[in-house]
Amino acid sequence: MKKKPLSSNQAGTLNKIKKLLSKSRGKMLDDKLLESLEGMCADLGSQLKKGEVETKNLSVKKEEKEESKILEKQIQEEREIFDNVIEVMGAGLCLIDKKSKVIWANDTLKEWLNLSESPVGVHCSDIYHCNVVGTDKCPAEIVLKGKKGRIVQSWVRTKARKRMCIQHIAIPITDKNNETNNILLLTVDVTESEKMVHRLLLLQQFGEITQGTLHLDKLLHLILTCITADYSFGFNRATLFLINKELNVLNGKLAIGPSSSEEATRILKEMSDSHNSLIDIVDKLEYSHNIDTPLNTMTKLLVYSLVDAKEVVTLCTKEKKPIVVKDAAKDPRVTDDFRKAMGVNEFVCVPLIAKNEPIGVIVADNVFTAEPISDERVNTLTMFVNQASLAIENAETYKNLEDKINQLTETQQRLIRSEKLAAIGSMSSYVAHEIRNPLVTIGGFAKTLSRFTFTDSKIKVNIDIIIEEVKRLEKILNNITDFGKPSKPEKIDTQICEVMENTCMLMENYFQEKHITLQKRYETGIPEVPVDPIQIKQVFLNILMNAVEAMPDGGKLDVNIESVNESIKIYIIDAGKGMQHGVLQNIYDPFFTTKPSGTGVGLSVSLKIIEDHGGTIDAISEQEKGTTMLLTLPIK
Amino acid sequence: MATILVVEDDKNQRLLYEQELKLEGHEVVTASDGKDALEKIQEQLPDLTIMDINMPKMDGIETMGKILGKNKEIPVIINTAYSNYKDNFMSWAADAYIVKSSDLIELKSTVKEVLAKKAKDS
Repeated sequence: MKKKPLSSNQAGTLNKIKKLLSKSRGKMLDDKLLESLEGMCADLGSQLKKGEVETKNLSVKKEEKEESKILEKQIQEEREIFDNVIEVMGAGLCLIDKKSKVIWANDTLKEWLNLSESPVGVHCSDIYHCNVVGTDKCPAEIVLKGKKGRIVQSWVRTKARKRMCIQHIAIPITDKNNETNNILLLTVDVTESEKMVHRLLLLQQFGEITQGTLHLDKLLHLILTCITADYSFGFNRATLFLINKELNVLNGKLAIGPSSSEEATRILKEMSDSHNSLIDIVDKLEYSHNIDTPLNTMTKLLVYSLVDAKEVVTLCTKEKKPIVVKDAAKDPRVTDDFRKAMGVNEFVCVPLIAKNEPIGVIVADNVFTAEPISDERVNTLTMFVNQASLAIENAETYKNLEDKINQLTETQQRLIRSEKLAAIGSMSSYVAHEIRNPLVTIGGFAKTLSRFTFTDSKIKVNIDIIIEEVKRLEKILNNITDFGKPSKPEKIDTQICEVMENTCMLMENYFQEKHITLQKRYETGIPEVPVDPIQIKQVFLNILMNAVEAMPDGGKLDVNIESVNESIKIYIIDAGKGMQHGVLQNIYDPFFTTKPSGTGVGLSVSLKIIEDHGGTIDAISEQEKGTTMLLTLPIK
Repeated sequence: MATILVVEDDKNQRLLYEQELKLEGHEVVTASDGKDALEKIQEQLPDLTIMDINMPKMDGIETMGKILGKNKEIPVIINTAYSNYKDNFMSWAADAYIVKSSDLIELKSTVKEVLAKKAKDS
C-alpha cells in the first residue's frame, strides 16, 4: 500500500483546524468557503478512519499469512505421514471421478498394476484391465448408484513379475450436500488368502478324489501335479521316491516339473492362463506328457539304500519328519551326488507315512524361481503329503487286491472249464463203463459158444452176428471215449536244462523253507533230446523231493547236467542221511517207502518213465554222507 | 499150468474169464472184491492176479497196493473198462494194463507174456 496512513497527530491537527473554522464562522470567511473547508475536513476525517481500518486489516492479513505458512508445512508433513501410512498399508489406492477418470493413484497400485506412466486422466478400465467396465458389475458404478461397493477379484502380474490376486473395493467420497463426486478404489492383495483357500479346496478335492480308488500311477502323477500347480502349492518341481521293501531301497518313481528354465517360463505362463480344478487335472492326466522328460528319466535311475541312511531322503524316511535344506552345499546331510542329481541348493523333503510306516519321500524345490521355502509352506505341504500317503497306501493295497482278484477269477474260470470237462468226461466214461461191462460178457460168451459145433449152421451164423455187432458197439465206445488212447510218452525235442530249471523254480519256495542251498552246474552245449517234458519234469520233481526229504535240517543240493558220449547225464546229489543197503535194493519197487507219509510210487514211476525214454536210473548212496541219483538219457 | 486169481465184481464176467482161462489150461480162482482177493491170495498163493479196478469196498488199485506190499512176487494185470487209469501213476506198478474187450485174445496173450517173464526172472 503506497498511501501513508494518517498519524494520530494528523487527526489532532485536523480537529484543531475544525475548531478554528467553527470559531471563525461568520467572522472573516465566506460561509461557502467555510463549508467547503469543513467538507474537506470531513472527507479527510473519513479517509483517516478508512486508513485506520485498512491498517488494522493489513496487520491482520500479515498475521494470517504467517499462520497459513505453518499450516501448509503441517499439511505437508501430515501428507508425508499419510503417504507413508498408505505405502506401509500395502494397499493400492486410486481416486476416480464420476466419469471414471483417474484423478490420483498411489505408488503401490502403480507397482501392482505394472504401470509405467502416470495414470492420471486415464479411464480406470485402462489400468485395471477389468471386463466389467460399463456394466452394473463395476464397483464404481454400483457405488454411484448409492449401493455398497462390490469386489472384483483378478490375477495380475506385477512389475516384480510376481503373480498376485487382487480385490477392488469402491468407496464413495461425498461432499457436504451428501452427493458422490469421487470414488476411492481400494485395491488389496489377497494372493495369500486366495492361495490358502485354494490349498484347502485342493485338500478337500484331493480327499474326495482319493476316497474312490485310483490307479497307482495316476495317483502319483496327481499328487506331484498338486504340489507343482502354481495356484496350489506352486513348487517348481516335485520328485517322488517310494520304498521297495523287498530290496530295502528307496526308488525314484516320478518327477514333475520343467527340465529347463525356458520350459519353466512357458509352463508358468500356460498355468496362469488356465485355472483347472483338480478333477479336470485327473480327467486330463496324460502319463506320456511328463514320462519322457529328462528329469523323470533321471529320477527313475535314482536308488538309495535304506540300510545306512546316508542320503537326506533316506534319513527323512527314517526320522519320519520333513527336512528343509537351505544350503545343500554346506548341509552335512546332503551328499554331493544327491545335490548334483537334484541340481538345487534349497529343497524340502517330506516323508510319505502311512499307518506310521514310511513308504516314501517327496522332494520339492523352487529351482527356477529361487523362491525361498517358508515354514508355512512346509507345513501345508506336510499336511497334504500325509493325505497323499494314505491314498498311495490305498492304491497299492487296491492294486494288490486287484491282482489277487484277477488271479482268482482266472483260476475260477479255469476250474469251471476243467470241471465242465471233467463232468462231461466222467459222464461219458460212466456210461461207457456201464455199457462196456455187459458187452464184454455178451461178446465173450458168444465167442465161447462159437467154438462149439452145431448141427444147424444157422446157429453158428447167428452167433457170429452177435459177435460182430458187439465188436461194432465196442468200436463206437472206443470212439466216444478215448479208450484206445496210448499212454506212451509224447516226445518232443526238449532242452533238458530248461526242464530242470523249470522244476527248480517250481520248488524254489520249498527249498527255501527247508533251508536247502541249490547249486546248479549245466555244461554248455547240452543238445536237445526227444523226451516228454511233462513226464521228465515229474521224474525231476520226484527225485528232488526225495533229496530234500533226505535233508530234514537243510543242506547243500547239487544238480549237474553234462553230456557224455551219446547220452545226457543228470546228477542230483544230496548231502542227506543216505540209504541203508536194504533200502537201496528196494527203492524202485512200487509201494515201497521209508517215509511215513509216502506212497512209495515216486521212484518206480520215475524209473518207468526213464525206461520208456530208453534211459537208466542209478543210485549211489553212502550212509550219513548222502545220495547221488544219476539219470542217463540217450541223445538219440 | 498156472493158478490165476481173477478179481472181478461182475458175476457174469467172472464166469466168462473163468471158463476161458480154464480152456487155456489154467487153474482159476475168483474173487468178487478187493477184500475177498486178499484172502484168496493168502490161501491159494496164485501165480498171477487179473484185477478189475472199479469195484465196491476196495478198488483194484488199492487192492494191488496191498498185494504188492505183502508179496511182490505175484504179478498183476489190470483189466478194466476204463482207459484213463493208464495215466494214473499208481497203476504203473502193475505188470500190464488191459482195456476190457469182448475179444479175450489180448488178455490171454498178456497172461502168457507175464507168466513167461515171471518164469524167466525166477
